[in-house]
Amino acid sequence: MMALLVFKEKLKQFYAKFNIYLVALVTFAVGYLTFYLINSNIGFMERFKNPLIPVVMGLLASFLPSGTTAFLAGCFMIAHVFGVSMEVALIILVFMLLVIVLYYGFRPGDGYLLLLVPMAFFFRIPYVVPLLVGLSGSLVSIIPVSCGICIYYIIMYMKQNAGVLTGGTMAEAAERFMQIVRNIFGNELMWVMIAAFAAAILIVYLIRNLSVDFSWSIAIIAGVTIELAVIFIGDYNYNLPVSVQPMVVGVIVSVILALIYQFFVFAVDYSRTEYLQYEDDDYYYYVKAVPKIAVSAPDVKVHRIYSRKTAVRHEKNNGS
Amino acid sequence: MHLPCQRACAGEVGRERGLMLNEEKIRLMTGLAMFEKRAEKDVFPVNRYFKGDYVSGHMIRAFLSYTFSCVVCLGLWLLYSIEEILNTLDIEKLLQMAKDIGFYYVLGLLVYLAITWIVYARRYAAAAKGMKIYQAKLHRLAKKYENQSGQKESEGGKHQ
Repeated sequence: MMALLVFKEKLKQFYAKFNIYLVALVTFAVGYLTFYLINSNIGFMERFKNPLIPVVMGLLASFLPSGTTAFLAGCFMIAHVFGVSMEVALIILVFMLLVIVLYYGFRPGDGYLLLLVPMAFFFRIPYVVPLLVGLSGSLVSIIPVSCGICIYYIIMYMKQNAGVLTGGTMAEAAERFMQIVRNIFGNELMWVMIAAFAAAILIVYLIRNLSVDFSWSIAIIAGVTIELAVIFIGDYNYNLPVSVQPMVVGVIVSVILALIYQFFVFAVDYSRTEYLQYEDDDYYYYVKAVPKIAVSAPDVKVHRIYSRKTAVRHEKNNGS
Repeated sequence: MHLPCQRACAGEVGRERGLMLNEEKIRLMTGLAMFEKRAEKDVFPVNRYFKGDYVSGHMIRAFLSYTFSCVVCLGLWLLYSIEEILNTLDIEKLLQMAKDIGFYYVLGLLVYLAITWIVYARRYAAAAKGMKIYQAKLHRLAKKYENQSGQKESEGGKHQ
């Protein structure tokens, strides 16, 4: 444990020293991965499939706000989808407009969630998202997380049905449009995931704010349990295509990641909790103070000590 | 080679002229600069308006954006159900449909405007609180300058 705490302190020092480069590097990675994943999953337009595009967009993302990167990624997605189906491109456009106008009009500053949620789905660890959002964000973040889930399922729908959606006459197009809307918005798995994630964010957020010992750990376990419970209920009711093995692996990895996050952000020592009570003119105060675990990273300095003989020989040599 | 001496001499000259670094003043100014950087987007633009003007301005904007969103959704819905509408072209049914759409539009609008009002009223209150703290810090800094210039003047009088 001590070694881990020292490692954490060293990491903190490293971050404090190089934070400008590290932030730029992380945002570059997020931008690059976003555009790379779009290209590799729904890269229907050959013109945009150039491998340099994700690199350039990643570089742009490293100094743009996350909301702008999400907007550019949305435009990129529409451009690809337009190559196969104008109807789906129209649906994505309307979806994007609604999110921008109705939610991002408030300038909430959590545009990065629109990028990270689909990314977590692609890496098969989506269950970590509600845990981290519940631990660090607010309840309003349920909206961008839900939008991120929608984006992922739209991408998956496009990936699986690209062949069926291409071409056709205008009469067919009208019918196809109805079919697409029904398939995208009638996808029970998507709604179950949205419900599971919203419930998990709510539970994690409520529990981590409680004044009980180990509230963050309890919140993580409760969040995962509620996620699984909602998914299993959904599976039971709608017979969803959920395979248990990858889900269990994803959940275990997600819990580990959430615990690592907790270690870095909320490391406290409950054994040294202090309970204080005092009053002023207006109030009585019942205070619970939990100390943070803090260690200082060892500062190793090497001193060279020469023996007397060597020093004398040194002097003699210099004299002659 | 003469750098240490030069530094020491410069320090003495600075002390003689009263150019010593005032740590408290630097701390205050750093705090102010940090607040200004953070407040550039959230506090200063808010402070230009009265609360009523600020909130109602945003509510008008919210009304327009909500209406725009509804029009876009209506367009999408019309595309989706155009065939059904054309097949059952019944005036009464269409009127009923329009009434339903109007009802849901107004209901959603009221909810959205209420959310907008709550969000921006809270933001205004937070910005006003931040501004008070900022002004208090500015006031303290101004006092520091006054004290310093007073000291300089009195020192100048003694020398004469």
